[in-house]
Amino acid sequence: MEVTIKIFRYNPEKDQRGHYETYTVEAHENDRVLDVLELVKGHKDGTLSFRRSCAHGVCGSDAMRINGRNMLACKTLIRDVGTNITVEPIMGLKVAKDLIVDMNPFFDNYKKMLPYLINDSPLPADGKERLQSQEQRARFDESTKCILCAACTTSCPSFWASDEYYGPAALVTAHRFIFDSRDEGAEQRLHVLSETNGTARCHTAYNCTEACPRDIQITKAIGELKMAMVTGKID
Amino acid sequence: MQTKARTLPLSKRGMSFETFMWLFTRLSALAMYGFIFTGIVGALIMGAQNDMSFVEVMRWALMPNVGHVEHTNIPDLSPFATLFWRSVASLFFFTAIAHGVHGVVVILDDYFATENQRKWIRIINIALFVIITPIGLYVIWMG
Repeated sequence: MEVTIKIFRYNPEKDQRGHYETYTVEAHENDRVLDVLELVKGHKDGTLSFRRSCAHGVCGSDAMRINGRNMLACKTLIRDVGTNITVEPIMGLKVAKDLIVDMNPFFDNYKKMLPYLINDSPLPADGKERLQSQEQRARFDESTKCILCAACTTSCPSFWASDEYYGPAALVTAHRFIFDSRDEGAEQRLHVLSETNGTARCHTAYNCTEACPRDIQITKAIGELKMAMVTGKID
Repeated sequence: MQTKARTLPLSKRGMSFETFMWLFTRLSALAMYGFIFTGIVGALIMGAQNDMSFVEVMRWALMPNVGHVEHTNIPDLSPFATLFWRSVASLFFFTAIAHGVHGVVVILDDYFATENQRKWIRIINIALFVIITPIGLYVIWMG
């Protein structure tokens, strides 16, 4: 079938501002938007720039706005979005070139959540693992699925306003460690979350939950963080 | 295996202004439902069933100020102007204005992101709060 794809283009060395270019390619309904972008880059315009890596929804490189919604290009089939497709970079981050955005503010916020296990207690008597029950592991299982694609954060109206707001992905990361029974860094993380750019900036718009390609219930996770801040319960 | 309940005491997790106001906004919203319910029940006990229309009852319930009953068929307004109702109205008004002003600040923070802009938004909104509150209380207590 013939697919018409309108792509946001911006070359910082030539363009004052971004513009759109439209391409027509032959594709199958089971092809993904990423395949169409590859066809454009390979056969129509080699200057087109976009991020991709695993192409199987695991690395989180190719988050972009497809027909106005944040999605992974590698997980979005043509049959689901139609033959007239508009592809734009994710919002709230500065466009570096075409569909590539500067992810530094996103990862700066991620780092503020101390995204590593904190536990200074001595190891168990056997000197081996810090054990955890299946229930304790299940408590934060969903937030371990995050692939840091930024689809959630860049769909959030509060993040569009200011990239100082930590954003849903960073908050999901905080959730992943705060509710981990082996972790002892909840106090530090809750202090970070209670700052002006922390959970208070979440207005429960649910855009993040809708945008997440891993189906993480992000707004629910942020709600649990808010309750942990108020009640102190981190089980 | 760690099995004991994990709870961080307030002294450890702290309570920032943002967290406090987040909690206040939710609780004050619930409290306002309580004030409205109190106003409706109170009005019905004081004769609204026969002498006030539904619109008049709601007007009173949304701000139990005696001025909102003046043009109804209630023959004696004095039960609507007691210390109790003026206190309820004052608490309702204070809760509503604090809830509203903070809500405006939170929304404006989405549009004004620099530290300086946010400082001015807070100054302007606190000034509005300080100016409007005594005016509202004056109307409630002097009406």
